[in-house]
Amino acid sequence: MQTVSLRNIYLSMLLALILQLAPWAGFGLLIRPDFVLLVVIYWLLRAPHLCNIGTAWFAGLVVDLISGGLFGQNALAYAITAFFAVSYQRRLALFNIWQQAAYVFVLLVFTQCVVMVLKLFAGEDVPQWSYFFPSVSGILLWQFVIFTRLGIEPTSNQN
Amino acid sequence: MPRVLEPQQTPSFFIRGPSPLTRLVLFSALSIALIATDARLHYLDEVRQGFVALTHPLQTIANAPSDLFHSSADYITTHTSLVSKNRQLEQKTLEQGSKLQKLQLLETENEHLRNLLGASQTISEPARLGEILHMGRDPFSHKVMVNLGARQNISPGQAVVDGNGVIGQVTRVYPFSSEVTLITDKELSIPIQIERNGLRAIAFGLGMDNVIDLPYLPVNVDIQKGDRLITSGIDGVYPAGLAVAEVVDIDRNPDLSFAQIRSRPLAGVKNHRQVLLIDIPVTESAAGTIVNKTARGADRTLKLQSALPQPSAQPVMATPDANRQP
Repeated sequence: MQTVSLRNIYLSMLLALILQLAPWAGFGLLIRPDFVLLVVIYWLLRAPHLCNIGTAWFAGLVVDLISGGLFGQNALAYAITAFFAVSYQRRLALFNIWQQAAYVFVLLVFTQCVVMVLKLFAGEDVPQWSYFFPSVSGILLWQFVIFTRLGIEPTSNQN
Repeated sequence: MPRVLEPQQTPSFFIRGPSPLTRLVLFSALSIALIATDARLHYLDEVRQGFVALTHPLQTIANAPSDLFHSSADYITTHTSLVSKNRQLEQKTLEQGSKLQKLQLLETENEHLRNLLGASQTISEPARLGEILHMGRDPFSHKVMVNLGARQNISPGQAVVDGNGVIGQVTRVYPFSSEVTLITDKELSIPIQIERNGLRAIAFGLGMDNVIDLPYLPVNVDIQKGDRLITSGIDGVYPAGLAVAEVVDIDRNPDLSFAQIRSRPLAGVKNHRQVLLIDIPVTESAAGTIVNKTARGADRTLKLQSALPQPSAQPVMATPDANRQP
């Protein structure tokens, strides 16, 4: 089994943050997946002893800061999502790739729902259906990365 | 099929630390406290500013690919396109030059008339050219980031315009950049005047591209399709006479108490990279009715009270509140 170092985790999060900061505009902005959340979920499921709810919460806080939204809304959403990711993590490792993808998709949609509810409380309108595009593009990106094993260390000596 | 997520190495009873539920409760409480502090008390503005300044290098890195693309695209523009662009610009300069001559005449005349009336002089406001860095992070709010910030003495509330009219207003200022809320955003409202008959109203963004709403006008209001809406200048933020929008659709349904009027912004709200940031006019009116854009519920009604045109208060609206007190 490969050991996961903290350095890898933080580097990947930094990379995700830079991707999130890239000047997205128009349709690209509408379908931009939540890179930071995807990386966080990956590490939550893979190495919960290094990346736990606190890490997720902190990542959400950073996303709040760069997005200029209400301070703490993404942090709360990430923390709740991380809770569900961590509590089913051991079961999830036994699932096959498609079941895992389905679960990750549920997590992504759930995070967006939490953010939406918080925004509704803050007095914003109910968004259109296109609000959930980032979850769809996010899960497509997830599957792409999993299949191509792009940037993921090979786990050849496993089992 | 290879497994991506290996089973956890250590059984859960060896992992130190509180249980997930405890952590969840702790961090939820923390974030709810943060949300409340940010939404109600506005203590966190400095924290946000400092952090955005910290992430400035990251932002530069993230912008680098697209900047490189733009600059190389600029570099390899063809000769013909440059020539045609140059010709267009020259023609535009000529057209505007003739208008400008008339304007100078009008300005002197206006000054003279104002002297006769004893009214205060309007000053032309200095403006600075800024460049749009990127769109806002949230596709459902209409915001852009501009490359001028607190270091360049930009302050919240400044109007942002392009060649055709008002684009929006500076809402948040960071050390090296500032956030501009576009006029199509739900949270922005502009005191306007109909150019044809001088009727005052307030225009609201609707959160949709290319739509500006004119609510709270009676069904029988004197407004026509094609009317131009210009800034009235009574808010002390926008200089008077900037083009804002053009009325495209009027629905006078007698069952409703207000006419439903939709208009289209005249400025290229989404088109340009260069924008002008106009300094807040330093007149006595600034104290009275600055329309402060932290519009969240309560603020919005406050703004309405301060800026809605009231027929009875016509002379008062012309000279702002600050003048009323002796």
